[in-house]
Amino acid sequence: MILSGVSSVFTQRVRGFRVIDLLALFVLLALALGVYAFKTLAGRESADIADVQSQIVMEQKRVRLLRAEIAHLEDPSRIERLSSQYLGFKPVDPKKEASVDALPQVASQVDKPAAPAAPPAEVKP
Amino acid sequence: MTPATSVPNILLPAWRWFSARLWWMEHAFERARASGKVEDDARIRIFFVMALFSAGFVTLGLGATKAALFSGHDFNSEFATVEPGARADLVDRNGQILAMDLVHYGVYLDPRDVSDPKGTEAALMSVLPGIVPARLEKTLAGDRREYVVGGLTPEMRAKVHDLALPGVDFEEESARAYPLANTGAHIIGFSGKDGHGLAGAEKALDAELRANAGKGPVALSLDLRVQGALQDELNAAGAKFGALGGVGIVVNVRTGEILGMSSYPDFDPNDAGTADPAKMINHVAATDYEPGSVFKVFTLAMGIDAGVANVNTMLDARTPLALGGQTIHDYDKDNSMLPLWEVFTHSSNIGSARLGLMCGAERMDRYFRSFGLFNAAPSELIESSRPIVNSKLTDNVVASMSFGHAISLTPLSIATGMSAILNGGVYRPLTIRKLEAGQAPAAGRRVIQASTSRTMLNLMRLNVTNGTGGKANVAGYRVGGKTGSAEKAIGGHYERNKLVSSFAAVFPTDGPLDADRYFVLIMLDQPNATPDTFGFATGGWTAAPAAGRVIERIAPLLGVKRVVLPQDTGPKPPVDPKTLTGEEG
Repeated sequence: MILSGVSSVFTQRVRGFRVIDLLALFVLLALALGVYAFKTLAGRESADIADVQSQIVMEQKRVRLLRAEIAHLEDPSRIERLSSQYLGFKPVDPKKEASVDALPQVASQVDKPAAPAAPPAEVKP
Repeated sequence: MTPATSVPNILLPAWRWFSARLWWMEHAFERARASGKVEDDARIRIFFVMALFSAGFVTLGLGATKAALFSGHDFNSEFATVEPGARADLVDRNGQILAMDLVHYGVYLDPRDVSDPKGTEAALMSVLPGIVPARLEKTLAGDRREYVVGGLTPEMRAKVHDLALPGVDFEEESARAYPLANTGAHIIGFSGKDGHGLAGAEKALDAELRANAGKGPVALSLDLRVQGALQDELNAAGAKFGALGGVGIVVNVRTGEILGMSSYPDFDPNDAGTADPAKMINHVAATDYEPGSVFKVFTLAMGIDAGVANVNTMLDARTPLALGGQTIHDYDKDNSMLPLWEVFTHSSNIGSARLGLMCGAERMDRYFRSFGLFNAAPSELIESSRPIVNSKLTDNVVASMSFGHAISLTPLSIATGMSAILNGGVYRPLTIRKLEAGQAPAAGRRVIQASTSRTMLNLMRLNVTNGTGGKANVAGYRVGGKTGSAEKAIGGHYERNKLVSSFAAVFPTDGPLDADRYFVLIMLDQPNATPDTFGFATGGWTAAPAAGRVIERIAPLLGVKRVVLPQDTGPKPPVDPKTLTGEEG
């Protein structure tokens, strides 16, 4: 029964065309339209990707520019100039630095009378 | 040879099967005719042709599917494209940018596409204030596409682009930028517009910088924080004393890494094309100086290491030393017998000359050659220049060289040789490349014993606590050093009032010999005395305070632990010569 139905597809004709040929034509057209539709969609996606890609490249260039600007702004000599000019800062005197371990030593020195000033160093070549 | 024998043995059965099927197909027509079934022959041929076409279409279909699904287009490939002449970023040891390629844009204008010249001119002038009106007008009046203005940042380019002006377009132009301007200019160097390095690290590491373009940065040994402090103090000292030039270098003597290098006066590598050539000379590597008394470090290291003398050996400094055509004097005329340690702390020329003569020319040649003093300092920097040395070491030359005369060499050579004396006795070239964590420094070669190195560290410390280097002392950092004040030889004779004043410092002088230890050299070319130096322009008054200030600022950055010692706060301690020597342990 099924076999005869299947074989009729190959033999039966509609307006002179075999059913199998019409089916094949339909599948062919559907495939062509499908491929066209998907290619169009994919093209749009590709354009979007290319657009994002170009934005990324632009942003990367901007990031590099900003990094250069940061490097310029963080230039030690610039920061020193600004801090001394506007804030009156100067390099920290190492005598004012102490680790936690050294605190007892610092405390003991505070209790002692100040040491006499050292005579000027004898300076020769 | 048949086709069957030309295929590998493993394919033989398949080949035989295929040949048989082909043969069977070819003879199908004959068989069909022989059996009287001609129609079978046609069907078989049609089937065969269909099969071939089907196979072809299936192959094409599979290929098309593969191409559609796995096109292999790498969207990241765009990032990997490297323009000709591109260079990698140059960074300091902590990753701070020192030099980088930056993309800018040039604006081009094609007047043939411009419908409204006046409107275009006004629009461009409104967003590009740097544009030269005459040039723009000339381009608009012309008949070909021309460059109008360059150096546009992406933001500026976007502003022009948004005007949607016909005839206006852009081209990328890459330029090397030095965001720190003058900071570290001499060690960083600069490159030309063709992307080739011309000076400093840009030249020294040229091949590496070009090979690494688009990959990753190239790290220098330089520490920007150290460089900033060094350059600031050197420039301040140079300006204060009105020096013609100056030199500063900071080295980790354990690894040989150069952490800071500065030459005064400096320049901005962004304007290398228009900078004063005299300011572009890296005096650290490219200028030979007569070093003066800092050289006594080498003489004493030689004498002690060779066993010719020890710190207590008495040397006669009672009378000037007459040798050939010259008489060697001391600046202070104590006229006394001095132990070697006092020869060092008093900076006695007579004592040093006597020690040099005791060692002799042959020994001096061997030791000084091993310290690298008779050759250009081995360095990546091509600026490193050769010393000026007498070809024959006569007694006169030996005596003079013992206290740093009769030889001219670069501060880089002095730093390289002195690093060997202060790091336990191993000579290794100084480097501008960063050593990665855990990376061993270059092997080097032993030039003095470890015990000599320890003695020299102690002597240099003594010279700061009790000798001529007192103004370089920084409480808590165990600074050692040696002053130098060489009279400049001008017109064939020495000028007493024109000095090259220097201070060679090391800190901390204590701790194991293979620990991190830092060498700082400050040199000032022809400094002038100021009221606060009481008329002196010698190394102890000019270079030593600058070296002290550099150490004061960089020691905490380098992780040197501060330990306050009695000699830092109280009066000078008495000298015990026994403490000056000692085996490492």
